[in-house]
Amino acid sequence: MSKVIKVPAVGESITEVTIGQWFKKDGDTVQMDEVLCELESDKATFELPAEAAGVLRIKAEEGDTIEIGAVICEIEEAGSGVAAAPSGESSSKPAEKETSAKTTGEIKDMVVPTVGESITEVTLANWIKADGDFVKLDEIIAEVDSDKATFELPAEATGILRHVAQEGDTLEIGGMICKIEVMDGEPVAEASSAAASSAPASSSAPSKDSYATGHASPAAAKILSEKGIDSSEVKGTGKDGRITKEDAQAAQKAAPATAKAESKPAQESAPAPVAGSRNERREKMSSLRKTVSRRLVAVKNETAMLTTFNEVNMKPIMDLRSKFKEQFKEKHGVGLGFMSFFTKAVCVALQEWPAVNAKIDGNEIVYNDFCDISIAVSAPKGLVVPVIRNAEALSFDGVEKEVVRLATKARDNKLSIEEMTGGTFTITNGGVFGSMMSTPIINAPQSAILGMHNIVQRPMAVNGEVKILPMMYVALSYDHRIIDGRESVSFLVRVKELLEDPTRLLFGV
Amino acid sequence: MYDVIVIGSGPGGYVAAIRCAQLGMKTAIVEKYPTLGGTCLNVGCIPSKALLDSSEHYHNAEHTFKTHGINLSNLKVDLKQMITRKNDVVKQNTDGIDYLMKKNKIDVHQGVGSFVDKTTVKVTKEDGSSSDIQGKNIIIATGSKPSSLPFIQLDKDRVITSTEALNLKEIPKHLVVIGGGVIGLELGSVYARLGAKVSVIEFMDSLIPTMDKTMGKELQKSLKKIGFEFFLKHKVTSVEKKGKEVTVKADNAKGETVEIKGDYVLVSIGRRPYTDGLNAEAAGVKLTDRGQIKVNDHLQTNVPNIYAIGDVVKGAMLAHKAEEEGVFVAEALVGQKPHINYNLIPGVVYTWPEVAAVGYTEEQLKEKGIKYKAGKFPFMASGRARASMDTDGLVKVLADAETDEILGVHMIGPRTADMIAEAVVAMEYRASAEDIARMSHAHPTYTEAFKEACLAATDNRALHI
Repeated sequence: MSKVIKVPAVGESITEVTIGQWFKKDGDTVQMDEVLCELESDKATFELPAEAAGVLRIKAEEGDTIEIGAVICEIEEAGSGVAAAPSGESSSKPAEKETSAKTTGEIKDMVVPTVGESITEVTLANWIKADGDFVKLDEIIAEVDSDKATFELPAEATGILRHVAQEGDTLEIGGMICKIEVMDGEPVAEASSAAASSAPASSSAPSKDSYATGHASPAAAKILSEKGIDSSEVKGTGKDGRITKEDAQAAQKAAPATAKAESKPAQESAPAPVAGSRNERREKMSSLRKTVSRRLVAVKNETAMLTTFNEVNMKPIMDLRSKFKEQFKEKHGVGLGFMSFFTKAVCVALQEWPAVNAKIDGNEIVYNDFCDISIAVSAPKGLVVPVIRNAEALSFDGVEKEVVRLATKARDNKLSIEEMTGGTFTITNGGVFGSMMSTPIINAPQSAILGMHNIVQRPMAVNGEVKILPMMYVALSYDHRIIDGRESVSFLVRVKELLEDPTRLLFGV
Repeated sequence: MYDVIVIGSGPGGYVAAIRCAQLGMKTAIVEKYPTLGGTCLNVGCIPSKALLDSSEHYHNAEHTFKTHGINLSNLKVDLKQMITRKNDVVKQNTDGIDYLMKKNKIDVHQGVGSFVDKTTVKVTKEDGSSSDIQGKNIIIATGSKPSSLPFIQLDKDRVITSTEALNLKEIPKHLVVIGGGVIGLELGSVYARLGAKVSVIEFMDSLIPTMDKTMGKELQKSLKKIGFEFFLKHKVTSVEKKGKEVTVKADNAKGETVEIKGDYVLVSIGRRPYTDGLNAEAAGVKLTDRGQIKVNDHLQTNVPNIYAIGDVVKGAMLAHKAEEEGVFVAEALVGQKPHINYNLIPGVVYTWPEVAAVGYTEEQLKEKGIKYKAGKFPFMASGRARASMDTDGLVKVLADAETDEILGVHMIGPRTADMIAEAVVAMEYRASAEDIARMSHAHPTYTEAFKEACLAATDNRALHI
């Protein structure tokens, strides 16, 4: 039998995803929970695990944009004789085969459950179990969309599933979805018929994992070690999944390493530019890019955004850092960076100028008594903005640890949507790329964003004398609709004050 | 200023130098002796094999030719010619190293290399003149020397080491060998085949005690046939020379003293790391209490730019182990990340039958508590072995009881020294016994015995027994 894998509901407002990359090839044997592919939504990238062990049959290609609930692939479950059937037909109906399980005669009607106060109807997004499938109690049989969320429908009994509603049907709460012919025990027909049918096909059956799966040959091991890739990240194409020299040569770091064959098409469509060439290339925008572009334009159009600047003498912070760097690291196990100073300074200033920490919701202004600071992090797929929650309550090391944790997850594409939603203010550091001065765009629905820049030695007039000081320009872009000039400028001046004399952070003065 | 200076030109040193040169490093090699190649080429592997082959021919001429249908009269050993031919073989090989050094543009500095500081090596020639050379990195590959016991007076005439045993003027009447390891049994074999009585005194309860016990037992049977006598579990207490006679006294397991008289005594109880005159202290390089150069897993000493390889560091004293380490260090110096699987370095004994092994012994598996299955196949059942009248010995394959992965291969028989390579390849790829059993092995060959032993290990289904 085969398991149909569909795009899972990944978040409230997400309606479609793009397949970023298949880690497995069509026809590969996959294990339960092994990652099959990477899906990109407009909010995040996430991985799709196999819901069963067996042979993978891919139904949607890399780059395809598909709706939630659409079929991505099927897994022909291992051990079922069907897996080796050359026709690839997979939707067998084991229930109709001989079974030792007895039908009790009882029929369980399943109706649309009450899912929320205001919800009166739902749409049957897709059947996870096919008509006639044997289902177990609590096994997920269908996905149902409401206008608020997608939820999964578990089987209310063990037995044979009989569909009543079709995919796409809109059903009222209490409406009939399906019936289950209740059975005792499980059908065993599968096993016996599999034994019979798998024998002649065994030579073509994919080899199972063995103790040697993922073992790198001596030459491959050296290459992997030089690339800094763990052999577990590489899929071996050798006998029983051994990693060959070619596998190792094709393995790539960072974005989970896969075999060359899979990354080749992308490389071919993007050949290295030849000097003098006037070739142009077209690539489909990723979901993430589309969302970013749409939102940035929206912010420009829908807010009254402008930017105020100031400059910060970084010497006091740098002195403090060099003085306590070692001890801090020793005590807290994390480096003392600039982010903790900026985050703490911003939190103090935000609490003094609450408008900067507020947002507009319709005709109301929502003031936040907490500071959830979004930090812009450059990730392989583009910019992501994870959130440091209640930053006002965190110690310096708490902030640094959180920054490290989030940045690491961002780099590995492991951030959850949860971790990226709901900030009240954003800090972005263009300085790491060498930016001297820029006007950041507000991260909607927030109302302000602080831009950090690079630190440059500049001659400054201090008490009538020229001094060389490490200076940083800071920029605050803000939504003038709710933040007045006095507030924004004072906020930034306050941040400057706190940074130039960090002891103020101690006393809140 | 050299990128790399290698001290010692044995298989570890010269291979390290070649690999360094291949990787674009300016390389020098320092050698104390007038010829390159170290112990292995000059007084070890190569000359002993030359004599083993010569003596094997004689032995066959004397004992098996008649059965083959070849009759000889006046069969005689010309020991002088045997030694001359051996010396020619050595010369061809060491000249080959000279050529390889030139080809790879490696500077050869003849003289004793000793550290001045961590980047300077003083090369002192035999005439006492010296010069300093400097290198960013230095590889110590000074190898080993035969070791002895404190109460033994090595006169290098009648009480000798392997070095002298390769250059005897006469065939001993009775050669007493102290130490039943590889060197003693190989050189003992040379003279046993040429007609000497050979007595081996071993402290442990079996021959080649570090190898799988089956190997020692089988080898003992075979060697007895050619005139070996064995005194196992005997502890040598004294060696005395009187004129042409040497008396060795040893205590047996019961504590009784046994006296063995011979005309030559070969002391082959092992080898010690050789760092004499290296002046490692000047560079701050630390030694272990066993006299080895102390190195980390990357073969780096406590002084970061100084490395050490081969017999002078921990691990088996084998030329091919030293070679792997030479390549390892050279590649590591340019930032590559090579790896050596020490468990899969084969061990070989060039007696006849030859003994070869790789991986775990049965004793080690028992000790580790790993469940295994063993498959054996005797050469007696091999068509190829019968044709050549080399029916002594067997192949033993040890495989994991559950996964069938090959964990150890132990062979004693004809050409097993060459056959073991297949087992190394299989094990580097973590092959199962059945994998080998399902690969076609040419018929008739000795290697079929390995396949059959694998079949036996798979589920006791060897075909030809």
